[in-house]
Amino acid sequence: MLSVTRRLFLAGTAISLAGLPRIALAEAPKRGGVLRMSVDQAASVIHPMLARVNPEYLVTELLYSNLTRLKPDMTVEPDLAMSWEPNATLTEWTFKLRPGVTFHDGSPLTADDVVATINAILDPKTASPGRTNVGPIKEVAAVDPLTVKFTLAGAYADLPVALTYLNARIVPAKVIAGDLASLSTTANGTGPFKLASYEPDRRIVVERNPAYYDPARPYLDRIELLVYPDRTAEASAMISGEIDLLLTTAPGEYERLAKADGVKALRTPSGQFLNINLGCDQKPFNDVRVRQALALVVDREATVGFVAGGYGTPGNDTPLSSAYHFYKNIPLKKPDIATAKKLLADAGYPNGIDLTLVASDRPSTRTQLGVAVREMAAAAGFRINVQTMPHATYLDQVWKKGNFYVGFYNMQPTADAVFKLLYTSDAAWNETHWNNADFDAVINAARVETDEAKRTALYAKAQDMMNAEVPSVISAFFDLLAAQRSYVEGYALHPRGSVFRLDMASLGAGAPKRA
Amino acid sequence: MSLAWFARRLMLMVYTVIVVSMLVFAITQILPADAAQSLLGENATPEVLAALRTRLGLGDPAWLQYGRWARHVFTGDFGISMRTSLPVGPEMLAALSRSLLLAVSAILVTLAIAVPLGVVAALRQGRLTDTGVSLIAYLGVSLPEFVTATLLALLLADTWHWLPATGYVSPLEDFGDGIRHLALPVLTVSLILVAHVMRMMRSETLDVLKSDYIRAARLKGLPERTVVFRHALRNALLPVVTIIALDVGYLLGGIIVIEEIFAIPGIGRALMVAITTRDLPSIQAGALIMAATYAVTNTLADMAYAFLDPRIRYD
Repeated sequence: MLSVTRRLFLAGTAISLAGLPRIALAEAPKRGGVLRMSVDQAASVIHPMLARVNPEYLVTELLYSNLTRLKPDMTVEPDLAMSWEPNATLTEWTFKLRPGVTFHDGSPLTADDVVATINAILDPKTASPGRTNVGPIKEVAAVDPLTVKFTLAGAYADLPVALTYLNARIVPAKVIAGDLASLSTTANGTGPFKLASYEPDRRIVVERNPAYYDPARPYLDRIELLVYPDRTAEASAMISGEIDLLLTTAPGEYERLAKADGVKALRTPSGQFLNINLGCDQKPFNDVRVRQALALVVDREATVGFVAGGYGTPGNDTPLSSAYHFYKNIPLKKPDIATAKKLLADAGYPNGIDLTLVASDRPSTRTQLGVAVREMAAAAGFRINVQTMPHATYLDQVWKKGNFYVGFYNMQPTADAVFKLLYTSDAAWNETHWNNADFDAVINAARVETDEAKRTALYAKAQDMMNAEVPSVISAFFDLLAAQRSYVEGYALHPRGSVFRLDMASLGAGAPKRA
Repeated sequence: MSLAWFARRLMLMVYTVIVVSMLVFAITQILPADAAQSLLGENATPEVLAALRTRLGLGDPAWLQYGRWARHVFTGDFGISMRTSLPVGPEMLAALSRSLLLAVSAILVTLAIAVPLGVVAALRQGRLTDTGVSLIAYLGVSLPEFVTATLLALLLADTWHWLPATGYVSPLEDFGDGIRHLALPVLTVSLILVAHVMRMMRSETLDVLKSDYIRAARLKGLPERTVVFRHALRNALLPVVTIIALDVGYLLGGIIVIEEIFAIPGIGRALMVAITTRDLPSIQAGALIMAATYAVTNTLADMAYAFLDPRIRYD
């Protein structure tokens, strides 16, 4: 019964939302103008299947479209797909494409383009990060020019969400058949903007796509992306009116921006977090008591202050923050040095334990967390030596190999995505090697469960298990911080941190005229 | 200036660049991270890594890789950036041109400030003017770049709104705006360089003013202005040429902090990004281009020196 409701709900949402942007025209935002935006690192990869960091996702979002799109409440809305429908067992999904959509070169979007794109993402040779993130797709086929059918390896309720993945932008089949690598320096998408010039380290310019499928959008004529590597300089540029929108900033600068005239500081809670990965298959962390002891020394509220400057929420050793759909509010762990000492003694370390914690230098909050935990853990007998290293060295030598290091992760679109990325035995990045069969079973049951209440119960159980067994210490989630000039309208921070929707942005009264 | 001397200088320059290219290549071989791994980042699978290593020729012996690279460089082909997929040569040269614009502007501003100040300090030796000028110059050289830069940006951009705080606009696209954006970084760099040049100028002027020919000029009854400007200044300027040539090296390598703070996409920043992402073709091209620029500048300085002072041509 309920499962039918949910599917009808999904399909219903799809249809009703298709008409929304046109209704929104009633309060028509002003058209035209140039938006100058700053990013903290160059978007050096504009190949949509290979993009890896937020400035790159921003550029590919401007130039391309997915089948579906993630809303700020983490549910989906139609993009290139107008509606979708699963079969009763959730193993086959049929997507109807929006008719009349064209790529920037004028050629029409058809089901063949979708099929070719998904196949290219799934091809290991492409080396797309999307390969493990677009859902358990076994086969994708064109039913007719505007209908695509996905056959899955198993039941999966989250496919429409998975297809919002940042690398699953639809590209033309003819580019894939021809020179796929050409997308590294050129672009041919269906997105609201077209690539006008690409000098990654200096400036990237996109111009309005007059043939965008929604005739009302985008509102801006042009967007210029400039690189400001220094956050203080970037904030100064925002305060002096050199830039209109700033992708992301740090707590210190946020406070300065919030006080400045004509600047609106933006903030939203997110699921972005730092953790301390514990190698559960090696000494000493193969003993759950050592992990529990470490979890009990961490003052979570204090960590939010140390690493996030207070702009965050405390974590409870599960990767789901309150920004996620299936978040369970478990009472927060409080520091308990006496119990931690006892657990450590029971595990065979009555005189304490020596450990080396590796923290890469990017972002610098990794080291801050390392040092904070070193000081907090000392009271219980953990003698932690914090070793910092350049990020490239860390990726090469420690990441996924070490058994005690600081990790940093963006928010994922779904609970399933973050558990399958990090904590199940078959996780794409199984960094902790927790390999808990009971936990795997719960996650696998949840991903095929269509009953919302049952699914909530399963994910609650998964969070309880992680909270109790501590495969990694997750003590703080970051809020996302940014800023804009007050005349920028229609822009809102998305909790996912990698969805931007600049097609909704426009320039209101007081915006400077820029040629 | 004999032709042989000239030829020897040129050969020395070419030799320097070749040795540097070998050093750069050797260093990139021992960087503590695999280029393929850093390129593919956290999503690399073992198969893809292996495929990429083969494509990049990372498995070949170092001398073979060096030979292949040197042959391409000789024809002006620095390869394709592993990071951006764009040709490295044009990217690095564009970055160099922005850095050179900054460096040359800074040197001109420095000379315009430091030479008169140095002369004035020398003429007023030991008096308040001398102490004041020296103090300000030392302050400029003692403060780290990022402090000077931040202070200037706070005052001139944030508080008084005279100049844009940061950012780069090409003077070719919009001359006025380009100069306005260049002003703060040039001022910052000049404040640091002024002390070098001024100090050299002051001591040289003092030395020259004590020399016999100046005394002769004075005894001849020439007005002090003629003595200083026509006779003393010419000789005192000589060592400044050397200082400037050395400062070009500092400007190209050490200017990275300025480029970061003022968001100028110059060669320092390009090289920094290349190193942190292990983008080998960019590291090699950037380092080589910087070394070549340094070698050329120093050769030019030597030649200018030899031209100004015939005693230098010691062959």
